[in-house]
Amino acid sequence: MGPLGRGSVIGALVVTALAMVIIPVAARRGRRDWLEIGYAAVHTNLLLLSIAMAAMMSALVTHDFSVGYVAQVGSRATPLLYTIISLWGALEGSILLWGWVLAFYAAAVLSINKHREGNLVPYALAVLMGVMLFFGILLVGPANPFGVVSPVPADGPGPNPLLQNHWLMAVHPPLLYMGYVGMAVPFAFAIGAMLAGEVRQDAWMQLVRRWMLVSWAFLGAAIIAGMWWSYEVLGWGGYWAWDPVENASLMPWLTATAYLHSAMVQERRGMLRLWNVNLVAGTFVLTILGTFLTRSGIISSVHAFTTGTIGYYFLAFIAVVMLFTLVMVAGNSDLLKTEGKLDSAASRETVFLLNNLLLTAFTFTVLVGTLYPLIAEAVRGVKVSVGEPFFDRMSLPLLVLLLFLMGVGPALPWRRTPEGTLGSRLGVPVVGAVLALAIAVLLGRREPWALIAFACIGYALAATLREFATGSAARRAAHGESWPLAFARLVGSNPRRHGGYVAHIGIFLVAIGIAASGGGRLEREGTLARGETLTVGDHTVRLREVYGLQEPQRYVIGARLEVLGADGATIDTLSPRMNFYTSSDQPVPTPDVRSTWSGDLYANLQTFRNDGTTATVKIISEPLVGWIWLGGAVVVFGALIGMLAPRKRLAAEAS
Amino acid sequence: MNEFWKKRRWPILGLAVILAAFGWLLFGGLDKNVIFFLTPAELLAKGPDAVDRPVRLGGQVKPGSVQWDEKSLDLRFVITDGAGDVAVHSTGSPPQMFRDGMGVVVEGRVGADSLFRASSLMIKHSNEYRAPAEGQRPQEMYRTLFKDQPK
Amino acid sequence: MNWKRALLAPAIAVPVIALFGWGLTRDPGYIESPLPGRPAPGFALEVFAPGTAPLARPAGDSIHLDSLRGRIVVVNFWASWCLGCRDEHEDLTRTALAYADRPVSFVGVLYMDQQPAALKWIGEMGGQSYPSVDDPRSRMAIDYGLYGVPETFILDAQGVVAHKQTGPISAAVLTRVVDSLLAVPTGAK
Repeated sequence: MGPLGRGSVIGALVVTALAMVIIPVAARRGRRDWLEIGYAAVHTNLLLLSIAMAAMMSALVTHDFSVGYVAQVGSRATPLLYTIISLWGALEGSILLWGWVLAFYAAAVLSINKHREGNLVPYALAVLMGVMLFFGILLVGPANPFGVVSPVPADGPGPNPLLQNHWLMAVHPPLLYMGYVGMAVPFAFAIGAMLAGEVRQDAWMQLVRRWMLVSWAFLGAAIIAGMWWSYEVLGWGGYWAWDPVENASLMPWLTATAYLHSAMVQERRGMLRLWNVNLVAGTFVLTILGTFLTRSGIISSVHAFTTGTIGYYFLAFIAVVMLFTLVMVAGNSDLLKTEGKLDSAASRETVFLLNNLLLTAFTFTVLVGTLYPLIAEAVRGVKVSVGEPFFDRMSLPLLVLLLFLMGVGPALPWRRTPEGTLGSRLGVPVVGAVLALAIAVLLGRREPWALIAFACIGYALAATLREFATGSAARRAAHGESWPLAFARLVGSNPRRHGGYVAHIGIFLVAIGIAASGGGRLEREGTLARGETLTVGDHTVRLREVYGLQEPQRYVIGARLEVLGADGATIDTLSPRMNFYTSSDQPVPTPDVRSTWSGDLYANLQTFRNDGTTATVKIISEPLVGWIWLGGAVVVFGALIGMLAPRKRLAAEAS
Repeated sequence: MNEFWKKRRWPILGLAVILAAFGWLLFGGLDKNVIFFLTPAELLAKGPDAVDRPVRLGGQVKPGSVQWDEKSLDLRFVITDGAGDVAVHSTGSPPQMFRDGMGVVVEGRVGADSLFRASSLMIKHSNEYRAPAEGQRPQEMYRTLFKDQPK
Repeated sequence: MNWKRALLAPAIAVPVIALFGWGLTRDPGYIESPLPGRPAPGFALEVFAPGTAPLARPAGDSIHLDSLRGRIVVVNFWASWCLGCRDEHEDLTRTALAYADRPVSFVGVLYMDQQPAALKWIGEMGGQSYPSVDDPRSRMAIDYGLYGVPETFILDAQGVVAHKQTGPISAAVLTRVVDSLLAVPTGAK
């Protein structure tokens, strides 16, 4: 399988280079026949990389240790699922997956927009192929997954133990790549529009809208899945540590979120043209920067892969992308002038402007915090890291303000708010804030920031629900529809807006989960002999036994804990474990979680006596953690609604 | 220019104030929350300057120095880099395979009594994986736990 | 295109890129080893893999660092389960042979591994020209502050650590360091 994969990867590089050169030349000269050749090369690239993927997959599954990547991550004892997902368990495989996703996106962009007149699509494809070329070079050179190992080892070490311990590893990286790589499409269209001289027309933004939404949803889902994985596997009961890798995925998501909002201001009011091009380009640069930071080992992180020279390739690529993008944007800035202006401070566009300001400030904060160790070492020669308190303290006010604005924005109309209605528009949701505050206080919360956060969430949630309620009521009154039908038709009449509101509700759920689990967390650690109990909050667990278990690829030591109800009877059992993989002398913690809608009871086996007479366990009570994962799903659902085309007839009725 | 300035004076001034405040918050916050990464020898060389500053201390567990009380969860050990030793105290359990000579990174503060109080303890993973040595495989170390298992 | 404005681009991009470029030359996880420039900790360990003529030492023989005073010593920590060790094996074996008639000794140190597996590995890799000793309790690895394998230490004729390599070492680096040490007159004490 090695030579087949190697050949395909080299072939893909050749056709990529061909497509990148021939497509813009053909477009410029108006040569339809050449253009067809270039387009065929785009599809061939996808075909060849698919063959390479299949070759790698088959090498992994058949344990062909003559293939370098398989010798690095494969093992005969690893179960099939983890053998398959070890495709993205190390550098070379993840670059292969990355390249394949990019090839897929490029082919999809081509298929969807093939018949569009003008040079925008050819130039955008040329930009995508330029990005593809970089990944092609990586796959042929420094990240070659198909290297030949000789002599062929009889068995391999297996994937990184951390990556073969939980099924979420099957989900998180592909989602992340779909999101990261997808950001290249809006970027390609923005640059393509400038190259084609079409940036003055906003057509490129129409073409980009759904792509941006898709990538944004994938990236958001990936971030949530990553948080969940970290919670389920790392054994400390948290889900976010401001690690550079986490920050790298958060930053482009924030700028993409800003773009989704500011794009509407441009469409409606012709404002923020230059800003939007910058957001699209910045988002892409941040995805590449994130990959660079985590793949080059330039900043220490728990997740960083080991690397050789690949950092220099990435550096060269970032240099090219940054210089090229900045030259294009600065050079075209005359064309990107604003037409409209703010009519009134009390308008939706003002709120969107503030939202963009806050999201940018947040992104900048995370960027500075992430890069600061590098800056400090370069300037002052000291090795430092930036602590979580910095990120927490800086982001909290920004997040709370953003939540508040999510209540203000939907309540205000575009342009200006009619005289005298401002009070009722902004006043009514205060009921929600008071209600949320009362609930939080009744449940015993006293931390000022958490209370402010809950009040803002309550305010924004009330404002959002009010939009749905008044809209449905209006339809009901006008058309005599039933409530559910009125609601469905309301959403269908403007799926973009209402999908956005659904996504907002998802964000509120995530915010509730974070605010509640962060402040309401109780944690205890203790050494138990059989039959002894440990209590945290109103949860009590009792150690029944410590057991050993042999599985094909690992040894497992677990503690069986009985969760006791109020009457002392056993209501559930938890089995936190430690998995010992043969390739590592460090066990992988495998906490066990009892999840209910009101909160989680999280148990981790910290250590145990060799003879199993005692176990030291940590138990954590975390309210509402599950709401974060649920909220993530709701955000994705909102994005899906936002992608629907508006129902024309209904839209006409509604306006 | 004058016309321009007259018209946009307040937005520009406002933006400048906001940017300045944000920058001040940002870099002030950074300064207070920076954690220095030191080796035991570097920490000792700093002397009183290092007291009560957040520090990440990296080195190896000095052989024979680990003491752990499993009831009080009181953990004491010495971190060494060959050139200096620092005594570390933390509350909690050591990782299961905690042992002499292992590379660790602890985060915490050193007190005036020169005892390092750690709030977190991480094992320093080398990039290469390492297989467990003779006598340290789980099936040997935890013989009694696996005795009912088929071999 | 407004080229005057486009010239702004490098002003923003170049400092950022320069910072990253500089950053790539550092290893953030690297803790400065106290060893280079200091006398290497002594060791006395038993040979388990004899190596091949002319560098062979019989299995069961004990190699003392003290007995190698006056020679340049290349100490390479390795294990059969380590992939990086495969990469450097050929270079080490060849370079050791190339210096067979000079005052240079190569010593392999087995790290957290079993002798049968290690011997099998040597066979698979086509032999090892110099002897390897076993470090069964990792005492020597602890003395040398090992973080992982492969790691290589090059000691000068006075037993001072002149070079430490984390990760696979290449023939080029070996030759450069050993040659520069050989150029120093041995009598200079």
